[in-house]
Amino acid sequence: MSTPTIEDTSRSSAPESTWAVETHGLTKRFGDNVAVNDVELLVPRGCAFGYLGPNGAGKTTLIRVLLGLTRADAGTMSLLGVSVPRHRDRALARVGAIVDEPRFHGHLSGRQNLEILAAARERDARDRIDSSLARVGMAHRANDRVSKYSMGMRQRLGVAACLLGDPQLLILDEPMNGLDPAGMHEMRDMILSLVAEGRTVMLSSHLLDEVQRTCDAVAIVDSGKVIRQGPISELLAGAAMEVHVGCSSPDRARSVLAASAFGEKIDVESSGLSIHLPSGTAKDAIAEINRLLVEDGIAVYRLEEMQVSLESWFLQVTSRLGENV
Amino acid sequence: MTSVTSGLAPATTTLANAVSRDNRGSWIPNGAMIRTRIMELRKRRGLMAAMIVVNIGVPTIFLLVRLIAHAVAPKSYGPAGGYDIFSALVVGIMYFFGFIVAATLGCTAGSVDLTDGMFRHLVITGRSRLALYLARIPAGLALIVPMVAAGFTIVCAVCVFAAPTKIDYQGVAVPQGLSAAEFNHWAQSHPKQAICGLPYNGPNGVPCFINGQGNITVIPGSSGFKHVSPTTLKADALTVAEQNYPAYQKLFWYPSVPLMIRTGLWIELEATIGFIVGLGLASLMGQRTVPVVLMIVLEVILTPAFSRTAIPHLINAQRGLVGLAIAHLEPSALPRGLGGGGGGPGGPTLVPESLTVGICVIVAWLVGWTALGAWRMMKRDA
Repeated sequence: MSTPTIEDTSRSSAPESTWAVETHGLTKRFGDNVAVNDVELLVPRGCAFGYLGPNGAGKTTLIRVLLGLTRADAGTMSLLGVSVPRHRDRALARVGAIVDEPRFHGHLSGRQNLEILAAARERDARDRIDSSLARVGMAHRANDRVSKYSMGMRQRLGVAACLLGDPQLLILDEPMNGLDPAGMHEMRDMILSLVAEGRTVMLSSHLLDEVQRTCDAVAIVDSGKVIRQGPISELLAGAAMEVHVGCSSPDRARSVLAASAFGEKIDVESSGLSIHLPSGTAKDAIAEINRLLVEDGIAVYRLEEMQVSLESWFLQVTSRLGENV
Repeated sequence: MTSVTSGLAPATTTLANAVSRDNRGSWIPNGAMIRTRIMELRKRRGLMAAMIVVNIGVPTIFLLVRLIAHAVAPKSYGPAGGYDIFSALVVGIMYFFGFIVAATLGCTAGSVDLTDGMFRHLVITGRSRLALYLARIPAGLALIVPMVAAGFTIVCAVCVFAAPTKIDYQGVAVPQGLSAAEFNHWAQSHPKQAICGLPYNGPNGVPCFINGQGNITVIPGSSGFKHVSPTTLKADALTVAEQNYPAYQKLFWYPSVPLMIRTGLWIELEATIGFIVGLGLASLMGQRTVPVVLMIVLEVILTPAFSRTAIPHLINAQRGLVGLAIAHLEPSALPRGLGGGGGGPGGPTLVPESLTVGICVIVAWLVGWTALGAWRMMKRDA
């Protein structure tokens, strides 16, 4: 997938826009608290896009602003190339969304709840109720009262509600909440199948492992601002490198490397060293580490460049890293 | 969760087409929205049960008990129907509790989407928030109006068909449904039945004695017999009739068709006002409990208190009370309910208000609360 970069934002919000979601300078304040701070977000069409951030970073607030659930204080935005909130009805016609915990009328069945939502959409929406319920595996419980549903079943019903509008864009806020491992696996498969059909899925989650498995691209939000966005592979490629060294004398090896350019951050472990290198460090640095140690008579058993996970990268770039430290 | 893809192919219709077909931005709710809203309210069993009990159940049980009692012991228990029963049920139960139940339904309709978390789903559909709000009005009225009508129809039917058809008091048979003039005319035409059959507490003491020739002899006091002329006889009959008419009217009159129609429209209006004010208030406050309590306070405390006593400095504020305006529209033949009413002689008086002002107050309440509720729903964070 080719994900445009932030420099491409000058593009207009015409209906043929390549962006499923596009925001410029979007800001939302609650008193003195800036929940969404000058957000520039670009979500390409036809992909699974992760929207990540620590608790309180403003993820849900941004989604609420996008969907017209609350008003923005500044900035512009468009969904599927249609400006909102100016043409909110047109934009939301092909958008499905779950925001926070999906809640429904508990005294009605799942099907009846969907009938209420379908009535507010176009006429065809009613014909999609059965297929939507079947798709999320709720057909057999469709006539049970929602008050008897588990949290996971309500999540599925929420996804079914999203599908009523035959959406081109799905915005799912923490869709894995309340799901057991099997349910999470099924949800992941469903998201991937939706993307395979050409739909765009914007996924807000704090489950970084799930996002890494599901999404093609992510945006990281911290303190209301989008601080990184792009394809996961590209973002991780720019992350700091970590090299594990198995050697005969870790303490002496540390002293040798501390005197070199690699001495920025070295952790001593029982079987060797863990060396953290700045992002953008060339692969040749690993060979250089090996050379320095061998020349000093230290036996090197193993050199391994660790794959940076989304989680560790997330912690590097958000304020949460500082908290942990 | 199975990955069934049938029936959900990627969207092929354009956004513009999708919206133009369902007119999603329009403030006018479509039929499906109203139907599903009716379904949502109708499925609230507790609320529906309360509405049925108050509007239909209580009057039906009351009338049923009276029908059975009258059938078993007609001399001890009067007829189940008639004007008295009609007015008691309408003013005492249907008017008072009907308003509260209608207001509760309105408060429910105005708040459940918020409290149940459905409002957010509905907003995300892109449907006009105003249309979402307005869909609740016909939906709620579609429930409350027929229910009030059903209960009122039962009351009318029993009060008409089970009403006494004639006076049968000490052997005197009097046609039912006479006006005061007609009753006086009947008494003058039937002086013997009137003077001898109807109770009389006038200065002439025991009214009559019938001799063997069928002539009526009036006993002035207890001093003896006296033959009277037909003119005197008619005058005495008129005196007796005038004294008996209020009791005749009260005990033996069944509600006329115009009265029933006016009364039916009046309690339907009152229920409609209760529903729409409750809807607006609950939408404004975003919850159900407090608005219901406020509506009860309005009906039980504020309206009676401020409808009957004119406070010079607050007279215009009192006239702005919707309960007073409704009370002024009450059919004059009914006794005053808790909220006021037309009343009869000797009943509590109402703070004076012209019909025009009363209608303006009602319209203002309906439009004002609808506007407030709609405004809040349009501006509210979902």
